[in-house]
Amino acid sequence: MRFLAFSTLALLLLSLESVLVKTFGFEVTRIDVGLALVVYAALRATTVEGAFSAFSVGYLLDVFTGRPTGLYPALAMLVFLLVRGVGVLVDGRSRASYALFVAVATAGHAFLSVLFSWLTSAAGSGHVLSLSGVPLQVVLTTLAGTAMWPLLKKIEPGERPEPGVLR
Amino acid sequence: MFSFLRRHRELLIVGALLLWPLISYLSTGHRGRAPNFIDRTVLLLSAPVQSVLTSIIDGVEHLGSGYIALRGSHEESLECRTRLGEAHAELNSLKEAQAENARLKAMLGYVEDTVDQEIVARVIGLNPSPQFQSIRINRGEDDGVRAGMPVVTAEGVVGQVVRAVGGSADVMLLTDAASRIGGVIQRNRVRATVVGTGDGHELSVELVPREDDVVDGDVMVTSGSDGIFPRGVRIGVVRAPERPSVGMFMKGKLEPSVEFSRVEEVLVIPVTMGLPSAVLKGTTP
Repeated sequence: MRFLAFSTLALLLLSLESVLVKTFGFEVTRIDVGLALVVYAALRATTVEGAFSAFSVGYLLDVFTGRPTGLYPALAMLVFLLVRGVGVLVDGRSRASYALFVAVATAGHAFLSVLFSWLTSAAGSGHVLSLSGVPLQVVLTTLAGTAMWPLLKKIEPGERPEPGVLR
Repeated sequence: MFSFLRRHRELLIVGALLLWPLISYLSTGHRGRAPNFIDRTVLLLSAPVQSVLTSIIDGVEHLGSGYIALRGSHEESLECRTRLGEAHAELNSLKEAQAENARLKAMLGYVEDTVDQEIVARVIGLNPSPQFQSIRINRGEDDGVRAGMPVVTAEGVVGQVVRAVGGSADVMLLTDAASRIGGVIQRNRVRATVVGTGDGHELSVELVPREDDVVDGDVMVTSGSDGIFPRGVRIGVVRAPERPSVGMFMKGKLEPSVEFSRVEEVLVIPVTMGLPSAVLKGTTP
């Protein structure tokens, strides 16, 4: 039941993040701590446990937005599958490669969420403006993800499972 | 059948976890769902954590700023006394105006709906997703906060409650891309729609006919025409109005009166759809 540990950690980190963002007054950018957990789960956990972890982290982020629509659980699952797919080709076991995965996943997640919002919302063009904060978001999330590495290793110390996207 | 499910268990679980929220999103769009049991549990667990963290950070900030503030407190107190005297004088004249206003309203037979006491709330968090501009406050359903209620500060309009549960509520900020509010230029009562741009610190002024008299620096207040916000609350200041060579309407930016990322306390006005909650309670079957 490691996904419960991931969910609890995600809940605490999102609560902390929302307070820090308020305190330091970030207007557009955020630290996507939940995504760092999804990437870690995709690289380290088993398929079922990782999928549940990714889903629960996305669900929590969805609830934290104030208007849960299902967008973030779906995106978390997409990121989970993409990282897992790329993880077959690229070794993601070290801290450095994990940080690289987090950086790329953060940028991809931000673009996908804006794309989906743009496609489905009448006020879609407004969401495009939030992309201005993506570079800083990538940097902050990568730093936060790297800082969390020792903690994440305690939750899921498992090495990379056998190859295959749905292994 | 069972062997098929067992064999493809992982694929089916992953597929369900991906497709269920995706279909839910595509079918409900940006309306969002009403809070279910899991949502309420998550909010019940996270709101106290946010409150405690906010208190700790505020405590540390006050400790530091308290010492710095002490150093110039004497000069500041003298200045405050002067300002207090001025404020008393202004308050007196406002009271006179209010009394006159009440007399005139009574003469005209104007009946005003009584509004319940505003609910004072503290901001305990900012939404972690930049696509949705919202804040969380430490007052919820238990305190009489309901979805749709307007939220303001002394500086002006903050936004609207989009979800309220037990002890907390989420407030969509004016800067959110989905936010629309009826405004009027204070100087000449020209009507406009104020739209959130989604960038976190600027608003857009729309639907103002190009021939209307709107200039840089005009103050925009709520018109009350949206049925959500009370009339006359400050929204912001018009910046750089432009009249494009084609089209019926002018374009303009609005600098909000409230610095949304720095809001600490807010007031929730207990009206929904322009009606005091007491009136709504009376009409509820």
